[in-house]
Amino acid sequence: MPAIKLRVNGREAAAEVDERTLLSTFLREQLDLTGTHVGCDTSQCGACTVDIDGITAKSCAMFAWQADGAAITTIEGLADGDKLHPMQAAFREHHGLQCGFCTPGMVMTAVDFAKRNPDPSDDEIRHALEGNICRCTGYHFIVDAIRTGAKAMRG
Amino acid sequence: MSKISEKNLIGESVRRREDFRFLTGRGRYIDDIKLDGMAHAAMLRSPHAHADITKIDASAASEIEGVLCVFTGAEWKAAGYGTIPTKSAVRKFKDGSDLKEPPHHAIAIDRVRHVGEIVAVVVAETRDIAKEALDAIEVYYAPLPAVTGLKQAAAEGAPQVWDLAPGNVCLDFGLGNEEAQKKAFAEADHIVTLDLVNNRVTAVPIEPRGAVAGYDAASENFTLWNSSQNIHANRDTIAEAALKIDKSKLHHLAPDVGGGFGAKNGVYPEPILICHAARLIGRPVKWINDRAESFLSDTHGRDQVSTVQLALDKDGQFRGLRTETLGNLGAYCGTVGPFTPTGGSSRTQGGPYKFDAIYYTAKAIFTNTAPLDPYRGAGRPEASYQIDRIIDYAADVLGFDADELRRKNLVPKAMLPMKTPMGLDVDCGDFPEVYKRTMAMTDRAGYAKRKADSEARGMKRGFGVCAYLECTGGGPKEHAVVNFRDDGKVGLAVGSHSTGMGHETAFSQLLAGHLWLAIDDVVFTQGDTDATPLGGGHGGSRGMEVGGSAVLQTSRAVVAKGKEIAAHLFETTSDKIEFEDGSFFEPGTNHTMTIRDVIDASNDPDKLPDGVQPGCLNIGTTFERGIISIPNGSHAAEVEVDPETGVVKATHYWVVDDFGTIINPLLADGQVMGGVAQGIGQALLEEIVYDETGQLLTGSLMDYAMPRADDIPPMHVGYFEDAPTAKNLLGVKGAGEAGCVGAPPAIVNAVCDALKGYGVKHIDMPLTPEKVWRAIRAAQA
Repeated sequence: MPAIKLRVNGREAAAEVDERTLLSTFLREQLDLTGTHVGCDTSQCGACTVDIDGITAKSCAMFAWQADGAAITTIEGLADGDKLHPMQAAFREHHGLQCGFCTPGMVMTAVDFAKRNPDPSDDEIRHALEGNICRCTGYHFIVDAIRTGAKAMRG
Repeated sequence: MSKISEKNLIGESVRRREDFRFLTGRGRYIDDIKLDGMAHAAMLRSPHAHADITKIDASAASEIEGVLCVFTGAEWKAAGYGTIPTKSAVRKFKDGSDLKEPPHHAIAIDRVRHVGEIVAVVVAETRDIAKEALDAIEVYYAPLPAVTGLKQAAAEGAPQVWDLAPGNVCLDFGLGNEEAQKKAFAEADHIVTLDLVNNRVTAVPIEPRGAVAGYDAASENFTLWNSSQNIHANRDTIAEAALKIDKSKLHHLAPDVGGGFGAKNGVYPEPILICHAARLIGRPVKWINDRAESFLSDTHGRDQVSTVQLALDKDGQFRGLRTETLGNLGAYCGTVGPFTPTGGSSRTQGGPYKFDAIYYTAKAIFTNTAPLDPYRGAGRPEASYQIDRIIDYAADVLGFDADELRRKNLVPKAMLPMKTPMGLDVDCGDFPEVYKRTMAMTDRAGYAKRKADSEARGMKRGFGVCAYLECTGGGPKEHAVVNFRDDGKVGLAVGSHSTGMGHETAFSQLLAGHLWLAIDDVVFTQGDTDATPLGGGHGGSRGMEVGGSAVLQTSRAVVAKGKEIAAHLFETTSDKIEFEDGSFFEPGTNHTMTIRDVIDASNDPDKLPDGVQPGCLNIGTTFERGIISIPNGSHAAEVEVDPETGVVKATHYWVVDDFGTIINPLLADGQVMGGVAQGIGQALLEEIVYDETGQLLTGSLMDYAMPRADDIPPMHVGYFEDAPTAKNLLGVKGAGEAGCVGAPPAIVNAVCDALKGYGVKHIDMPLTPEKVWRAIRAAQA
């Protein structure tokens, strides 16, 4: 079993992992970071999206050993204590979530998108969400949230 | 800010209390539960749609290291477990005979009847080992002819799914006055006929189904955590019917549930199977579906083919409506499956339009496919599609203006209250006004320019409308109990369950608002059969209507008891006491005490009247709905079609709903928008497809087209709040399902409007690019 070392949400983690263990499984089962959700088996839903060395990736689509040496941020690492990240706060303000299951992936995608596109149009936001499926909201309020969150992030 | 106490916080967009944990990854969903010693179950599912099981050899699987047990239908049968009964409210054929209910065992015994049916269960130390062991089980099948399509299954000579259901008919049904319908047809100037398909879809909550079962040998009690919308009713069925134990022996809990939309309402085999497994191995057992299994084994929805006939006079006045439907049930009855195409699709036939007579008839048909059960709307979207689609079709073929036809035939306000020809009690509303307000939102003035812009780009633009009428449903009773704790918090437990709708906020909002307490002091509990004596789960848009009413009723009981306490301390009678702005007071005196003072007094024997016990404010009440409510409204959609590719883009969407009183507008908006997106999905994208041998062709998110953000237009939602209903304490009419009731006809009408110039009269849902492209070519040929 490969031994891996990585930083997750600013903390060092070292573990032995089975070669076939997916990163999403590793985060959930071995690190107890259950905010990363698994909603499908074909890398379509995006609920498992995390940030790996500054790039968002679907953690169900890579093995844990492939993240050896990486710095990972999951949804648990976004808020500053009880203070929500501006994107999280915008999702709450705009009712951009209902059941909450797709939400961690949505927010991680949105934060990364807003970093690369600080002042997006609504069409750009909708296209940026092509890898994240929400069944509850109809997306309208998610678009509102990301527009507001991006504005708050650019300060 | 001081307000009338009864209305405090009602109508305010309170932001959600549950969001902090959901946004920070601290929600607790079923797969987040870890128990000491927990083992993992995996299900072996049939690859055949219809086959006899001649032999199962699980010996190799049993020997794999880490496998704890393997069991099959043979062991299940020997153990004497019961079947999963249907609770369909319609149970009689038109001729009075009983519905045909085949035995639904949690695991296949001797024969499988749909792809995905469970034939063996493996329990192992890890999920990976359990799944690996599935491959080592040898099942010998003798395939039988299968049937999946409705018309094929209903045809003479079709393969029979069940011997006890000749012709594959589970139930036939009729509602309305057929003689009056025929008379209206005979007198009418025109009869228009249209065959319509309500395509088979599935709910796809992003959290797949799963459960964790534990068993305590000493007490013989089961504990079952289940990603379920309906824990009380399902506890009864799982315990009494399937496990054959007293329901007091099953503690049923639902943690945070990641979406449901009806697909988590029913009783499924897997939780029953893992209860057995937990008892067998003496350890907790977890099972989580993967997405591929969800497509195979979640209940599906819709799947009806109908012939709709509209009779109208030459001036456009509607006279009669007749709908003949075949509804697919899949291979079993489902928890309430047979009700959907019969009772569920009949009640709102004709929508908000005036008819002399309506007759609805349906047959519920077995096929070799996964069972069908309610999916958001469960019959009302089907009915709404039928009436509002045939209106546009009739307008097109007879040369009427569809807008004029609607305005002419909407039931006028003066006719309310009324009973519809289908027996629905419509107490209040103003359908023409709601329709008018919707049309006023739609920027018709700008339409010509948008259409011209589309034309300039080689695109076709269309506009479509639907005026819908639906009804609530689900369990009529709900319980709400409050508990004033010694830490200053107020416990509130409600038997209804949120799968994302925001009960934690809306119900806390009602309680805190009514009692003038801080909403943050409310500690909310749901999803626990030990926390409330009864609960109706979630379904039929009943959450606020029944659950919210229970909360308000309990709040009022607390105030009434508080008045007794205050009266005792003021040395007067409780009828002299008023409660406002968080204080109990006796007008005309200086007697006043805050609700906090009264709560403290309620725990102090020295401050209570004789015979009143400390803790007397901890009250639970059950609210029972008498008559179901009638949400209604109008939807309008604008679409752009690329005639070269057949791609449809919904560009604009407007809704005005009459949900009665709106408790939390932001949450109501969320319900409408989510429902509309599901309706647009059904209209344009989604379809569960089986091939003729019963193989599922749309078994993953790569094949089943879910609406994504760029498939859905911005939405504008408004409310008509002038007609609160007196059928419940809050005046609400139910908001949860209306979005997907109105959207499919609005979208299809808009596409057909866009394609009018080509002579396209109708396209069956989903309106995929291929179908649209072919329809344009066929109409031009």
